[in-house]
Amino acid sequence: MSVPLPSSVEQRLHEIGEVDLLVGIPSFNNARTVGHVVRAVAAGFHKYFPERRAIIVNSDGGSSDGTPAVVASSDYASPAALLVSYPLNVVHKVVTPYHGIPGKGSAFRTIFAIAERLKARACAVVDSDLRSITPDWIQLLLGPVIQEGFDYVSPLYLRHKYDGTITNSIVYPLTRALYGKEVRQPIGGDFGFSGRLASHYLTKEVWESNVARFGIDIWMTTTALADGFKVCQSFLGAKIHDAKDPGADLAGMLVQVVSSVFDLMHTYRAKWTEVRGAEAVPLFGFPHGVGLEPVAVNVERMLGIFRQGARDLVEVWQKALDAETLAEVEVLAGAEAQPFHFPDALWVRVVYDFAVSYHRRIMPRDQLIGSLVPLYLGRTASFVLQTAASGADEVEAIILHLADEYVRSKDYLLERWR
Amino acid sequence: MGDLLSDVIRKTLTGFGERLGDFGPNLLAMVVILAVGLLAATAIRFVVRFVLPRLGFDRFAQRAGLSLILQKGGITVAASSVVAVGLAWAVLGVFVLLAIGALNLQIAMNLVSGAFTYLPQLLIAAAILILGALISGFVRRSVLIAAVNAGFPSARLLAGGVQTALMVLFVAMALEHLGLGRQVILVSFTIVFGGVVFALALAFGLAGRDLAREFLERMSRRRDGGDDLRHL
Repeated sequence: MSVPLPSSVEQRLHEIGEVDLLVGIPSFNNARTVGHVVRAVAAGFHKYFPERRAIIVNSDGGSSDGTPAVVASSDYASPAALLVSYPLNVVHKVVTPYHGIPGKGSAFRTIFAIAERLKARACAVVDSDLRSITPDWIQLLLGPVIQEGFDYVSPLYLRHKYDGTITNSIVYPLTRALYGKEVRQPIGGDFGFSGRLASHYLTKEVWESNVARFGIDIWMTTTALADGFKVCQSFLGAKIHDAKDPGADLAGMLVQVVSSVFDLMHTYRAKWTEVRGAEAVPLFGFPHGVGLEPVAVNVERMLGIFRQGARDLVEVWQKALDAETLAEVEVLAGAEAQPFHFPDALWVRVVYDFAVSYHRRIMPRDQLIGSLVPLYLGRTASFVLQTAASGADEVEAIILHLADEYVRSKDYLLERWR
Repeated sequence: MGDLLSDVIRKTLTGFGERLGDFGPNLLAMVVILAVGLLAATAIRFVVRFVLPRLGFDRFAQRAGLSLILQKGGITVAASSVVAVGLAWAVLGVFVLLAIGALNLQIAMNLVSGAFTYLPQLLIAAAILILGALISGFVRRSVLIAAVNAGFPSARLLAGGVQTALMVLFVAMALEHLGLGRQVILVSFTIVFGGVVFALALAFGLAGRDLAREFLERMSRRRDGGDDLRHL
């Protein structure tokens, strides 16, 4: 089904004809930040792809703060500042509303459709609230596609050791074990992809589902992995953007992310049931570390919720968890041993048991994933305590150890799934 | 005199015999209908207990929380057994009514007619109760999970209270539908709920000002979490 576009946009696309490079920026009320993003993208085109035909597409969800006007008026026109001496080519811009269910996925669908119309060879999508984006990002997201022939570029950010605990304890190691590729941050938010992959995305019937609302990031990564596209990673440095309230709705966040991953397990069960082990994917960019601001963590509160869960949610966990897994969780919750430690093997069995229970629909799915929160907080508390004095490399080794445990325990998942 | 007495006795016995002769077939029909009813109820119970588990009804009852409600009510057998017994009794009840009808007595006929008129109300009331059980069970679990995730210390009490309140509402609706003590139910419901709300308002408004402030401050501290963790 073709994606509807306003007639003015259709006319504009017709005038442009074809492009080599496309960067899409989904937006909703981001007037304060989107100007910087547009300028960084334009500068990236000028500096790294001066001979290519390029376009910036803003897919807007009905902003009321003038975001589209900011996009239309922003540009980068200072060749001296970029240390280039050639005149800067025009970077086309298209600003369009998107149709469909409100959400980032619908915005991306419009961007994919425009990429297909313009026969773009290499594309990227970046968030509209990025404060740390630099022109280098454009080269790192588009370069592996246009120059090296990759289909999908996953971002790799520099993060604090306590950032992304859902990614580190569930999404990354589970995706790695299921699809056999070492994609460290599968829900990064800023991606590069080929025009071929964009067209492939458009063939999927997901645009009336939760993918359109909140699951687009993991869906893009999983589809690229499962459908056999060439995947790589690019190191982009720190990602600084307008942070949503981090802990405002952990349960909602967990439900959205984990249910998206579990839904994709159902979609691609024929693929992941055949995969064994995990292999590295190429990494572009220059990985480096800098000091990051410390992150305060309330471990006692997390442990309190975990123990309360073991007390009050047993009736739910009895349905979700294998009897042996539940017994171990109850022992762990009741233990007074210090320091508190949630073993990797137990955590992996918890996640796999929840995946199976989700698949079997043993209870309403939102309730099922919601009941995972205390277990996740217990695991996170354990991770924080374990890595309190650890540096970045040591922490990464601990996360990799967990990821290997997911791979080692995959037979457990397969056995219970059938 | 002797002849008169014999004549009266003979006529009485003859009359009784005739009435018994008229009534006998009806009585026999009643006994036969009751016997058939017992057999039918037994058969229904056996068939339902055999078929329902194979159709996944017990798994559905587990998922929907019906089994938990039964267990809380002291019923430990499978949900399919409960349905089988309920259906068997319903079938037997129908045959009892039919058996009574077979007596062909005016009082019995009125009873049977009234029972069949009332039956749809009973079924609707039962449906209201079952729906109430499902909804209150679902809401209870949602409240429990949300309260635990928020670190609310009395999560089970809160969830149980919400479930109880909902069930009281649905029971009141069912009784009101059956027309049983309409005014009593309505007035009792109003007094109890109104009283609870009024008491809470007084407690928080007057006597528990400081407690309410502490409670709200605790909730606020819990919401902040005291950490800057970015989970994604």
